[in-house]
Amino acid sequence: MAVAADIAAAGGPSLRQRRMLTHAAIFFGLVALWEIGSRAGWLDPLFFPRPTDILASFWRIYVTQGNIWYHLFVSLSLVFAGFIAGSVLGIGLGALVGMNATVRRFLQPYVIVLEATPRIAVAPLLIAALGFGVTSKIAIIMLVCFFAPFINTLSGVINVDRDRLELMRSLGASKLQTLRKLVLPEAIPVIMAGERLALTAALSGVLVAEFIQRDKGIGTLILTYTRNLNMASAFACIFTLTAIGFLIFKGMEVLDHRIAFWKNEAGLRRVSTKRARGWAEKGGAVHV
Amino acid sequence: MQTMTRSESAMPGASVIEGRHVGKTFGGGSVIALEGASFDVTKGSFVSLVGPSGCGKSTLLRLIAGLIDRTSGQLTVHGVPVTGPHTDVGMMFQRATLLEWRTAVENVLLPIEIQRSVTAADKARAMELLAMVGLKDFAFSFPSQLSGGMQQRVALARLLQTGADILLLDEPFGALDEFTRERLNLELMRIVSEVGATTLFVTHNILEAIFLADEVMVMTPRPGRLARMVHVPFARPRTPELTLTPEFNALVAEVRDILGTH
Repeated sequence: MAVAADIAAAGGPSLRQRRMLTHAAIFFGLVALWEIGSRAGWLDPLFFPRPTDILASFWRIYVTQGNIWYHLFVSLSLVFAGFIAGSVLGIGLGALVGMNATVRRFLQPYVIVLEATPRIAVAPLLIAALGFGVTSKIAIIMLVCFFAPFINTLSGVINVDRDRLELMRSLGASKLQTLRKLVLPEAIPVIMAGERLALTAALSGVLVAEFIQRDKGIGTLILTYTRNLNMASAFACIFTLTAIGFLIFKGMEVLDHRIAFWKNEAGLRRVSTKRARGWAEKGGAVHV
Repeated sequence: MQTMTRSESAMPGASVIEGRHVGKTFGGGSVIALEGASFDVTKGSFVSLVGPSGCGKSTLLRLIAGLIDRTSGQLTVHGVPVTGPHTDVGMMFQRATLLEWRTAVENVLLPIEIQRSVTAADKARAMELLAMVGLKDFAFSFPSQLSGGMQQRVALARLLQTGADILLLDEPFGALDEFTRERLNLELMRIVSEVGATTLFVTHNILEAIFLADEVMVMTPRPGRLARMVHVPFARPRTPELTLTPEFNALVAEVRDILGTH
């Protein structure tokens, strides 16, 4: 602590700033090594296209040629459609199964078997059943999106606090009231964790769907570039997916903080103030 | 110092809870949780249930609340046999069991929400109750922002909001530290006499049981039995000094004796 104080007093960079600088130095060093390695012929350009070439590809597919936008739009539309459908189904069924002990007992073995089966393996069957087109693509994404919300909702509903359940019972709450006022809110943090997994899975799901049905979308684009040995452009697509994956992760984190506000300090303070104001505005008699 | 009068709120003769040979077994009769408990609880009285673990005191409370079904005997509340959860009784647990996503006042309003839609009068009453338990300034705090003692105060306010005239308290302050517990016990006595409720209070602390109660149900384990009802004659309001008097300690010795000889 004394050391930190000395540095602060000297007006030098903070520990955090120095860490950031170190990270940047290492990153750019690696990229420079990669560039030099490719140019000197140490790295096979087929696997490691030059960073400058990748940058040029970015410029081309986003600006001069601008062809990626259409494919991005197609893929992301599918991701969201499949994600919404899969998670609505997952959460709904999870709650339903979780609330009914009998249904749960008879469904459990099937759930275990299905969970152990890699979902992607079923993708060709879905295409065979539904035919080529948007429907089968969304079905594949639904399939990979369904399980995490389903399992998490189920476990959230099953593991609801027993004392609180007894409280609801002693207050004469109906099954629906118990679900709405206790079980679902209590399960929300777990459900949100499932949703996060599902959205990440959706991104892989759309790629698989587009690898199998090569007509459009970012998966098809990657496949096309790779076949033409245009590795720099394929990398540009992959890095685009990295960025999207990261944005999804961060976005879900923000959403999680807002929805399950009671799990973090800032959320508690924010909502507490809001509720107090709402109460006063609605004319509730607040004793000061 | 203490005169031999009953609590002012008690109306002798009118019993609100009647148990006749109440029994409860678990596991198809293999575990006897409670056997042949017969008792009357007078309207407005404060009854403590004291005994070691496994004496069936929590079981008896849950039977009265209708949360579990008895396997034998008769049990009536307000003269009506208990068949399931009913709104005449309100229950409070060792854990506050507050809903973390609701502010203190929203937690207090939960019992109303379950029965009907909340009115402005209910809201005013909820604020009043929070003030009564000393949490006027914490109405919009969330449970995780409150200490364990404060959480139990919210739970007590919620219990009072139910409007139930019979309060069942299952070691409500058992998880709190000694100082907080003592203070809350005093407040509990004040509050229940203020609202005139009939109170059943489960504890394994003999001093606490006697200090709070008009009657002490002394219970013994294996199988759970109601060994004896001990009448506590001290006048109210009571202060902690009561526990230092010889009369009080004679009662403590009596209860300890009942528990020890079984």
